[in-house]
Amino acid sequence: MKSTILLVLATAAWAQVTFDRLKNAPNEPGQWMTYSGRYDGWRYSALDQIRRDNARNLKVKWVYQMPVTHLVETSPIVADGVMYFTEPPSNVVAVDAETGRQFWRYRRELPKKINVCCGQVNRGVAVLGDKVFVGTVDAHLVALDAKTGDVLWDVEVANYQHGYSVTVAPLIVKDMVICGIAGGEYGIRGFLDAYDVANGKRRWRFWTIPGPGEKGNETWSGESWKTGGGSTWVTGSYDAAQNLIIWGVGNPSPDWNGDSRLGDNLYSDSAIALDADTGKLKWHFQFVPHDVHDWDAVQVPVLVDDEWRGQRRKLVYWAHRNGFYYVLDRETGKFLTGRAFATQTWAKGLDDNGRPIRLPNIDPTPEGVYIYPGVQGATNWYSPSYSPRTKLFYLSAWENRSVYRKGDQEYTPGNRYIGSVPLIDLPDDPGHGAIRALNPKTGEKVWEYKLHTKPWAGLLSTAGDVVFGGSDEGHIFALDAQTGRELWRQNTGGVIRANAMSYMSRGKQVVAVAAGSSIFTFELGDAR
Amino acid sequence: MRFTLLVSIPLLLAAQDETRNPLTSPADAAAGAKTFRSHCSECHGLKGEGGRGPSLATGVFYHGSTDADLLRNISDGIPGTEMPGLFYSPDRVWQVVTYLRSLNARESVAGDRQNGAKLFRSKNCAQCHRIQGQGGRLGPDLSQIGRNRAVAHIRAAIVDPDADVRQRYWFVSATDKQGRTNNGFLMNEDTYTIQFMDMGERLHSLNKADLREFRVEKTSKMPSYKGALTESELNDLTAYLTSLRPTGGAR
Repeated sequence: MKSTILLVLATAAWAQVTFDRLKNAPNEPGQWMTYSGRYDGWRYSALDQIRRDNARNLKVKWVYQMPVTHLVETSPIVADGVMYFTEPPSNVVAVDAETGRQFWRYRRELPKKINVCCGQVNRGVAVLGDKVFVGTVDAHLVALDAKTGDVLWDVEVANYQHGYSVTVAPLIVKDMVICGIAGGEYGIRGFLDAYDVANGKRRWRFWTIPGPGEKGNETWSGESWKTGGGSTWVTGSYDAAQNLIIWGVGNPSPDWNGDSRLGDNLYSDSAIALDADTGKLKWHFQFVPHDVHDWDAVQVPVLVDDEWRGQRRKLVYWAHRNGFYYVLDRETGKFLTGRAFATQTWAKGLDDNGRPIRLPNIDPTPEGVYIYPGVQGATNWYSPSYSPRTKLFYLSAWENRSVYRKGDQEYTPGNRYIGSVPLIDLPDDPGHGAIRALNPKTGEKVWEYKLHTKPWAGLLSTAGDVVFGGSDEGHIFALDAQTGRELWRQNTGGVIRANAMSYMSRGKQVVAVAAGSSIFTFELGDAR
Repeated sequence: MRFTLLVSIPLLLAAQDETRNPLTSPADAAAGAKTFRSHCSECHGLKGEGGRGPSLATGVFYHGSTDADLLRNISDGIPGTEMPGLFYSPDRVWQVVTYLRSLNARESVAGDRQNGAKLFRSKNCAQCHRIQGQGGRLGPDLSQIGRNRAVAHIRAAIVDPDADVRQRYWFVSATDKQGRTNNGFLMNEDTYTIQFMDMGERLHSLNKADLREFRVEKTSKMPSYKGALTESELNDLTAYLTSLRPTGGAR
């Protein structure tokens, strides 16, 4: 019965994506209509054709090769038989989800000189009604006609010549496009914006670095708030019942020298919860007060309603770049519990309020200090996943360290403002990675799948009790969600620096992930 | 100013090799080093030795080696690559160029190159090292070592080979389920497999799951020549190796 409905939807001529459909996305597992597939940030698919006992039969369905050389970090979206994804720097492609054949391609003309800290990347689009929305590395937000790719409106989010760029996949909430900003290595003043889907007019802006007179401004010494960073470069989640947008905020600027910005530096490295209609702050939780290690809170917030010590409670699960896993109360932002999920040598632990108890001699020095986790963190922007079947929290984790060096800082518009350069990868001590499953109530490790190298790929869990992940070695793999046992793997021949997703096409479950410069899709072969 | 430059593009093209860096004092190099450390070293290494981006210490730049090329590529970035531009005045970029040039200024080495070449043969260096197609493959090919490594680095590598062992020369020891062991130099490794060249220069690719034991040593297999060479012989050999550079123009 379910498959009949899906088939009808798939062939219906341009059923439009509505806010109601986005809110109820878990009821339409054949679609994948937002960055994380659902507003709660689970990156979980309720499709169960691909299971533990047949995943070994997965085969390539189609491949789309992009004529680009930049890193591909896009998460595809599938709505009503059409897949939308971005090509770096800021192009958008719509293809037939069944064949990979192109309907249209929007090619963004860009200024010659653009500064993006870590490659001219893009993580995907948002879709609503007859429009597709994309942020660009020259810091614009563009609405495209979903059927043709024609530009409907194009607004400037910020001045790219001052180090602002948009790499995040926008998120639709009601009739607004929620759009974050990147530039934490360029001394920006960060914000989260909401734009009217109809015309691109800005509805509200929440400054992640409070201005004079606003609460939190006192956590910045002198004028440092003006160039305090606090980017918002990874898509957040939406709690429809509370009408709260929950989003992660990036590092303070300059990254590795905090001398000019004494204080806690709110709301850098924080989870923020904003009223979706007004953009007003409801609560925040800062993971790293006065960060000097570049440990952004750029993880997808995982929103779960579950028992917490005998009471039903609204929770946020969050594995942070600093090596600690946290559980927060989603109504207040209050810290409930936390523990390290990877090797870390900077904190003795967390106090009752979740504030780190720092060890001595952990701040960067001119000569450099060795600290776990490294600059790229014990995890980073790539998505975690939560399965309501196993009730496990899955993440890609790193075991590595860096040499943190402190150096000069000088703010000049559009140039790097980082306070020296750490040695990110130690040639003789490259570290390694792992896919880990945590008990989300405690943060304890349940299983791990060890990798020789450090993965930059997110995870997808499914109702078939399979977890999909990828590696820099170019393998996409399927693991048993209960045990971490490898079920299947495929070498794609290019680094995987993106999140997998799943959808239904002509009655078959498909898994898609970007690898190298391509989108790969997989489905079960004959023996399913 | 930018307008003027745009208008005079044809002139610049005709005379591009004539555009010379006007800021070449030691003070300029020092200022350039500071800018380099803040803006370039994350990818190109603290001393331009390379990392995520290519080495800048060789004097040969893939996207053009003239002063004008460097000014353009540092100011504007290089399209199609991850190399970004800098929002700085040309003066400040010229200082970076001066610093880069200082990295690959040819150092002079006191030593007898001819005798160094003789020593290279008589001390059996060619058993593992190859120069212009002659010699073994187990160690690094040294045909362009004078371009790729500083004098001090070359000298140190002769007397203390363990000081800096590239991952490509880590030593693999792989024992299969039947107890047969193969040794060689690491070429690649992922979660599931390992690739290496054995001592007979044969290439292997093995599944880790098929191995009983598998070890990687990060020390060098090259013997130290400390004490095996006199100070003057060491100078001669260093002078010879330093002279090994590509012939012909920079490409």
